[in-house]
This record gives sequence, structure tokens and C-alpha cells, in this order.
Amino acid sequence: MVKTFPLAPRLDKLDGKTICLSICGEPDITIPLEKRLKSDYPNVNWTLKKTYGIDPVKLSDEERKTTDALIQGVAW
Amino acid sequence: MWGQLPYAADLEKAGIPTVVIDFEDQNNMVMEEALAQGVPTVRHIHASRTLPGPADVDRMIEPIMQALTSPLTEKEKEIGSWQPPYSRILFEGTMDEAEAFYHQTEWVPHPVNAPIAKYTDGLPVRVPTEERVAAMLKGTSHKPDELVTFQVDREGRDKGEPVRFHPMNWAATVEKVAACAVMAGCKPEYLPAVLAIAESGCYIASTHTFGQWLCVSGPYAKEIGMSSGCGMLGPGNVANSTIGRTYEIMARNLGGAIPGVNRMTCIGSPFEGSRCCAENADGLPPGWKGLNEEHGFRKDESVMLIIPHVNDGIRGVQFSPGGYRALQKSGHGGMARRLRVKGKPGPHNWLEYILPEFWAAREGAKTLVMVPEMARHLYEYGFKSKEAVYEWLWKKSFMPVGQYRNFSWVDLATNGWLGIEHTSGKHWKELPDDYMVPAGGFDPSFFCIIVGGGDEEVSHQLSSIRHLNKDPIHSIDAWR
Repeated sequence: MVKTFPLAPRLDKLDGKTICLSICGEPDITIPLEKRLKSDYPNVNWTLKKTYGIDPVKLSDEERKTTDALIQGVAW
Repeated sequence: MWGQLPYAADLEKAGIPTVVIDFEDQNNMVMEEALAQGVPTVRHIHASRTLPGPADVDRMIEPIMQALTSPLTEKEKEIGSWQPPYSRILFEGTMDEAEAFYHQTEWVPHPVNAPIAKYTDGLPVRVPTEERVAAMLKGTSHKPDELVTFQVDREGRDKGEPVRFHPMNWAATVEKVAACAVMAGCKPEYLPAVLAIAESGCYIASTHTFGQWLCVSGPYAKEIGMSSGCGMLGPGNVANSTIGRTYEIMARNLGGAIPGVNRMTCIGSPFEGSRCCAENADGLPPGWKGLNEEHGFRKDESVMLIIPHVNDGIRGVQFSPGGYRALQKSGHGGMARRLRVKGKPGPHNWLEYILPEFWAAREGAKTLVMVPEMARHLYEYGFKSKEAVYEWLWKKSFMPVGQYRNFSWVDLATNGWLGIEHTSGKHWKELPDDYMVPAGGFDPSFFCIIVGGGDEEVSHQLSSIRHLNKDPIHSIDAWR
């Protein structure tokens, strides 16, 4: 038996929010993605976690308290 | 799949909205993993496998941000539960009907576009009637309704904790493992080996060319009539073949693994069969430990080694066996020329011959399977232990950073250029191009030697057991 959970509530706005871009490999996608996110959404406080590996670099407990959302790319 | 989806699910449960970028052909895998992680409606956006990055980002950026901001649907707000689909009794009817039931297929669309077996590895199975399963259970002292649990403390998992079968994280009873053993054609005395495989969770990974093969070390192999001789990884021996086969039947029925849905081994591997062999303990040179002793068990204890086959393929005999004999007997032929020992009888270190190609395509340690005669030649040459061979290979793997950076994938153990290169203690980016780093893994212990096979002079080299499988050994005796 697996208990299933709802999604977290979505953001009501983007401006002023802290959003983490969590990168796993695929720099051909994630390098231009990082540039576009920062240029298209300059009022977002972007943070970055980056690895070439297969497991994401996790947010610390403290970082979770100040992170409003996370983009995880790329997943295999 | 790897750690990205469990991480996103964990954040969603903690109240942090996420969006996952994947590839379209992996849609089903992500959805199945999301279900297994308890967040079945995780939002995900498909990247392209072929568009240039900027064009792909241009296409994805709006959907990504919408996934973080558009309000939840009623379905996405649901709280509930999910029960793995299989009950204790799957089917009731005649034996012919049961055979047809177990041989059912289901159509799996792209990227498979073919029917895939629902309960088997694709071959007919022995129908697991209650009577046959009861007879199989006589092969272990463990109770039928006992959950399969870790028999010792393992990396990150405690003794007694239920094993979760990959990829859907289901638990299973000893009886269900026995049913799979019946399906594979096992005899009751094979069940402890099958339960040792079950303790691994039958990991099947995600993409690439991934499979597992298995090797038994210890007296149990002879007890049940396993082959460690000629063709030990090929067809013919009942114990080898049926024990190996249980891996895939358990992955399908106890882990919910479906090719092209939640296991994406792109081309597949002959080891996805799976294959099982035994180590030839009698063929080990003096002082060379068996796999059981190498992993902290006694010589009289029996273990199952789970060996991933990944990425760099099966490297076979890079020399003609006759050429090998000419090298060792009289120092003649191409091998002797390459090793510059023309006219000098052996023993010669034949590993020198294959070394130039070892890291041509991919970094990482290797598992070497070799026949007893070739192991003996290494011993006579001067390697008085397996560890001495590992040390030699690892030292020979050093190459300049400038060359090492040309592999398609960076060294995952140290996170490539973003981390610390462990032999220097310095950041990768601080190292000059001519600085020498090991391509053969973190340290010599990442290598592995398995001695077995017939009399022809043959060696196979495959990816290291420790490349992805950090804890590859499981006690068979614990499941007797």
C-alpha cells in the first residue's frame, strides 16, 4: 500500500520568489535554460544546484525554508 | 530512474512546488516512478532529444513556469492510496488455461511498439500452482508469509527492513519469491540463492544498456550442481540457467518492471536474461581469495554477487587463444611482439596486451572474468593476490587530465569538474592538463576478478561491480 499525496500549492506570483534550478547533466539544455530563466524572469531570485551526476544536489534544511519552488532537469 | 524523481516527490510532500524536465519517450517511466513515490501527478515537461538547446528552451520555458504557477486541478489535490496489483492467487482454471494466462502479453507503444509479456521474461514458465510453490518452500527455513527483509545492516538500510523491489518499490513475501522460482524452473534447493537475489531488490535501473548477471561463491555452488566450468555463463546447466532467470521474473512480478514503460534500457543487454554462474574456487591460484572472502565472508560461507553490466559493453578475447598460448609457451606471435618478449617463454603478464584498449571508450574499473589457467599465469608472473592485480591495473589507469576530460561522461564518483579530484585533494579546475588521474575508479578495490570457465584461454572484461552497485554481495546461507 502506497499513500499518495497532493501536489504542493503552486506559486501565486513569480516576482520576489526564490526558485532553485537543480541541474543533473545535459548541459546542452540546462546552460541555455539557466540563461533564459535569468533574463526572462529577472525579478525571481534564482539559486542553482548543479551536478554532472545522476542524483541531484539536495537543498539543505535551511535552504528548504527559503526556497519557494524548484525546477529539476534533466531526469532520466 | 535515478534520484531526480524521488527528490521532486519529497519536495512536493514538503510543500515546495516542482517541475521535472524529462524526455518524451520516458513519460511512462516518470509517471510510474511518481506513483511509486506517492506523488502520482508530479508535473513534468518533455525536453527534446534532437533540438539544439536554445531552441528547445525557447519551446519549454513558458510551460516550465506555468507548471510552477497554474493552480492545482482537483486530481492534483487528491489524497489517496495505491495498492500494487497482484494478489496472492492470480488465476484459477485448468493447467492449459493457466499456461495461456501466464503467457499473456500487452502492447507497449513507443519506444517499444511490440507486445511485452505481462508475467514472464517472454518465455513460457512453469505454472506456480499452490502445490508446486509449497514444495519450493521446503528449500528454505523462512516462513511463506515472511516479508523479504535485509538479513544484515547494509548501506543506508537496516537489518530487518523490508526489501523494496525495483522500480515500483513493492514489498514481497518469501512465498512470492518461491512462486517466481517455480516459474523460472528452479528446484527447491535453489531457493536460498533466489532469496539472496531477492534481497537485492532486483534493481533494473533506467536507461542505457543495463543488465545484471550473477555469480555464486562458496560451497553452495557445488551442493546444488552449479557450473563454474566451460560455458558457465551460457546455456545448459539447470541451476545456473534457472537461478539467473529468476532475476527478471522477480523484477517483472515483484518490482513491476516493464520494458519501455518504467525500465528504459535502450537496446537492452544479453545479461537482462539474466545469467548466473559459479566461481571456480578450486581454480584460484594460491593466495587468491574467493569472492566470498574478498567481501568479508568465510571460505565456507556462500554468497551471491550481483554484477551490473552497463555502458561499456562486453569486452571479449582480444587475442586468438592460440596466440595466447604461443605467448606463454615460447614467446612467439603478435602478443609477444606487442609485449616485447619475443622468444622468451612465459609466464608473461597478459594484462599488458589488453591494457591500451581498456579505457579507450569509457573510464571506470572493470570486472575481469578469466579461466583458471590465465589466473595461474598471472600468479606465476608475480601477482600473489587478486589485490596485487587490482593495484597494478589501477596504477596503469592513470592518464593526463587533458585526456580524461575527453570521455563522454565525467567521473560520477567525484562529480567531475565540479568536485575535488581525490588523488590530489584539489578542485578539478585547478589541475593542469598534464596532471595524471586514475581512469580506473576511485581506488583499486573497484576492480573485480572472477575465475571460471573451461580450458580455452579466454577472458572477458565488463563494467565494474562497484560502478553502480555499491553493496553487491548477499548471503545465501542467511536464506537456507
